[in-house]
Amino acid sequence: MEILSNGLGLSAIVFLPIVSALVITFIPKSYEKLIKGFALLSSVLTFLISVVLLLEFNFSNASQLQLGTKVSWIESINANYEIGIDGISLPLLVLSTFISVLAIVYSLEHLPEPKSPKGFLALILVLETGMNGTFVALDLILFFVFFEIVLLPMYFMIGIWGDKTIRSVSGFKKEIETRLYASIKFFVFTLFGSAFMLLGFLGLYYKGNKTFSIPELIEIGSTGAFTGTFATLVFAVLFLGFAVKVPMWPLHTWLPDAHTAAPTVGSVLLAAILLKLGSYGFIRIAIPILPEQAKAWAPAIAILSAIGIIYGSLACLAQTDLKRLIAFSSVGHMGFVMLGIASLTPVGINAAIIGMVAHGIITGLLFFLTGSMSHTYHTRDMARLGGNMKLLPKTGALLGFTAMASLGLPGLAGFWGEFMALLGAYNPLDGLNVTVFRSSMVAGAVGTVLTAGYLLWMLQKVNLGEPADEWKDKELHDADNYELVAWIPLVILTVIIGIFPKLIFGATNDAVVNLISRAFGG
Amino acid sequence: MILPRKSKYLIAAFALLGTLVSLVPLLIQWTSYTSAVYVFQDSYVIDKFSIVLKGLFIIITYLTFLLSFNFIDSDNYYQGEYYYLLLSSLLGALVICSSRDLLTIFIGIELASTPMFLLSGWKKGDRKSNEGAVKFFLLGVLSASLILYGFSLLYGLTGNLLFNEISKQILTRSLGSSPIVLLSAVLVIAGLGFKVSTVPFHSWAPDTYEGAPLPVTAYLSVSSKAAGFVALLLLMTTVYSTSGSNWGVILIIISGLTMTLGNLVALQQDNPVRLLAYSSIAQAGFIIAPIAISGITENYEDGIFSSVTYIIIYAFMNLGAFLCVQVLTKFTGSNDIYEWAGVAKTSPFVGVLTTLFFFSLAGVPPLGGWFAKFVIFRSLLGSSETIGVVLGIIGAVNAVISLVYYARISKIIWMDEPKIEYSENQLVIENPLKVVGIVTVLITVLSGIFPGIFSNLGNIASMLLNN
Repeated sequence: MEILSNGLGLSAIVFLPIVSALVITFIPKSYEKLIKGFALLSSVLTFLISVVLLLEFNFSNASQLQLGTKVSWIESINANYEIGIDGISLPLLVLSTFISVLAIVYSLEHLPEPKSPKGFLALILVLETGMNGTFVALDLILFFVFFEIVLLPMYFMIGIWGDKTIRSVSGFKKEIETRLYASIKFFVFTLFGSAFMLLGFLGLYYKGNKTFSIPELIEIGSTGAFTGTFATLVFAVLFLGFAVKVPMWPLHTWLPDAHTAAPTVGSVLLAAILLKLGSYGFIRIAIPILPEQAKAWAPAIAILSAIGIIYGSLACLAQTDLKRLIAFSSVGHMGFVMLGIASLTPVGINAAIIGMVAHGIITGLLFFLTGSMSHTYHTRDMARLGGNMKLLPKTGALLGFTAMASLGLPGLAGFWGEFMALLGAYNPLDGLNVTVFRSSMVAGAVGTVLTAGYLLWMLQKVNLGEPADEWKDKELHDADNYELVAWIPLVILTVIIGIFPKLIFGATNDAVVNLISRAFGG
Repeated sequence: MILPRKSKYLIAAFALLGTLVSLVPLLIQWTSYTSAVYVFQDSYVIDKFSIVLKGLFIIITYLTFLLSFNFIDSDNYYQGEYYYLLLSSLLGALVICSSRDLLTIFIGIELASTPMFLLSGWKKGDRKSNEGAVKFFLLGVLSASLILYGFSLLYGLTGNLLFNEISKQILTRSLGSSPIVLLSAVLVIAGLGFKVSTVPFHSWAPDTYEGAPLPVTAYLSVSSKAAGFVALLLLMTTVYSTSGSNWGVILIIISGLTMTLGNLVALQQDNPVRLLAYSSIAQAGFIIAPIAISGITENYEDGIFSSVTYIIIYAFMNLGAFLCVQVLTKFTGSNDIYEWAGVAKTSPFVGVLTTLFFFSLAGVPPLGGWFAKFVIFRSLLGSSETIGVVLGIIGAVNAVISLVYYARISKIIWMDEPKIEYSENQLVIENPLKVVGIVTVLITVLSGIFPGIFSNLGNIASMLLNN
């Protein structure tokens, strides 16, 4: 498999999905089986290549960028096709290829209305290209392009296959379907952030020797070349671009709408991978290139994260809609991730990465489950649900398990991210305001209690109790095989990562320590 | 025109063939190029700048012919004159590219725009068409006189018509900041501002665009506009190059106003042609931005590079957008975008094309438009002038605003429920239109994934100043 290690493997992971999507658009609609088979094959193949690369990856040298290549791309502006992975991007890349397979498996049998496997599967594959590409890109322009590619498919996924409930939205004269409002809101918010992010990239380009190469800019940045108002402004716009995507409070408002409106697979991919693009951007670009500014902004990020944690949990307690509850829980969980990042310590950033992976797996699974349940019950209103354990024992058991994982039960994957983020915040990087971070830590700790509160409250309402009368005579279908094939691997991963967090830390730790020591010289 | 009515179809074929054949000498010039060739006492030049842009104009006109083929055929109008007028306009555009003195460029500008007065009033019986044409004509004449007045000031000052001689004189006699040169520059900016429809000289555009036959509108918003920009580029970067800091600020203000106003008004349009009219006003604001900033930094090469790259990419995606409007208007029989609800479900192919072109106009990667916007931002921030950065921020906000109305088209055709049942058989896309669709979509997508090809053309064009 030597042949895959010179950038070819990574390129295949990035471009195989979009090429397959293109092929799918040329297969006539009537060959539905062929379309589905082809999409599945392509995503499985992409995943297998990522597994091969995982084996090829030199873990003893995880802090170095590996398996990449650099080819001239746009000569006149000195942008290159520069790719590569290190211990930080590796777990996220594998997660992305893996979740994509599960998303396609689930879609084989559970297509949202209007059923059109061709368009839907093609969009998932285009989305996969954007996600994988963002994790391997080492050139700012390349990163930007991949970061943006995810917008179009997600926009259409929400807009065409999304929730058709009519609701009134302030600012709109007429009542509007949720999907239409949510899709454009998602698009405009993200584009707003990234348009400014692009300006920031250009600023770095001009101050940093006219290069877009991330490794070179890190080199330049760690010598303290970017200072003053310039650096403050650049960090501000990068922050805007990434924070919208994470999303951090108070830029989060697109998220509950998008999540609630998106079809099941859309929410899964959104929660599992898309949100990580933002936090990954902080770790890969903003912090190492602008370390001094990161230090200056860290307390503010910590405070916003703490607010996000508390706000997310409180908002969850106020929800009546099951899916919206899970969506708000994402705000809280990503708050922990950002709190870890803000601490600027190896512990905190390791926590952030494992938190990202765990959130991807657990919340992805939660969205699968709620999506399936709302399909079965035709409602997401928690007041009407109840006794789910009796009605749908398999789904109910999985929901119970996943909720436990989500609230950070020790022994399961969710625990490490939360616990270590708090640890990181207790003891932030030297020179950071300890009071601010310790207060944030306390807020985070309160947040964990609230998280446990709303998840248990949700379980009590949905899973326990006696089923309502309206379900008595109805025939309700429990999870079928397609669903189980998509879900069980996530359950297994949750347990494995919970017991052996070293699976992730083994890859990330060296890279994180190297990042911190290069940026802050400690 | 001399052919009998029955064989009118020959005219179209001949026009198509002629346009294509005219690419041949251009290619020969390109391949055997060694250095710039000056003819007619240095007033006409063949350099790489002119070759690149001539190529662009010829290809655009060719595609416009393809768009017109069935459109004009369906009306019982004068085909011979139609093609004759478009070809005259093309000739004008070509003359502009090569002209290096005031008289030649003026003839080029007028030759390019005069036929358009007639073409925009092509639908004789239509009141809107007449209104648009009259507006266009009156303002066009006014703009011509402004340009001419500006030129006459220069001639009076320097006694010379050649760009090179004039700029040399201005430099040696240090007239760079003399009020006469500045006045002349302002007059030219205003005059050409009409041609390229920048705010506040844009008011004719929506009416004329709406009234003219669609292929003519496409030509107006792509080729005519590009011709105006080429003239502006040439004049600003050569004749007025020494007084850049004065007109630079004016252009920056115009640029910011143009993109903002164009976008804000476009938000409220429900007629697709008017929407594209305002969108093309907004796009003009982007094209003008690098010229403006290059006036201040006097880094004209970069200004030409960015503008030309933008113009090339814009030309194809905008032509593609017009193609889609033409197809959808005919298919749905409606001039209201809200009546297009759900048509993409009947014809996913047209739906995908429309989506690609409109999102490319919005500048969403990986479609060509992102790179066009990117080079503009690159120029603005590269200037390291505060005013450049401010304009960059205005541009970024505008990019987001424009997304709302560009995305709305996609929303309507894909996500809204169809109001009428369409059958797929109703949708006939003639072969010439298919060719336009394929060419424009290929260029739109490729220029986004491999922008290098197109930025190289921009780079080559920017060597204008080196010879």
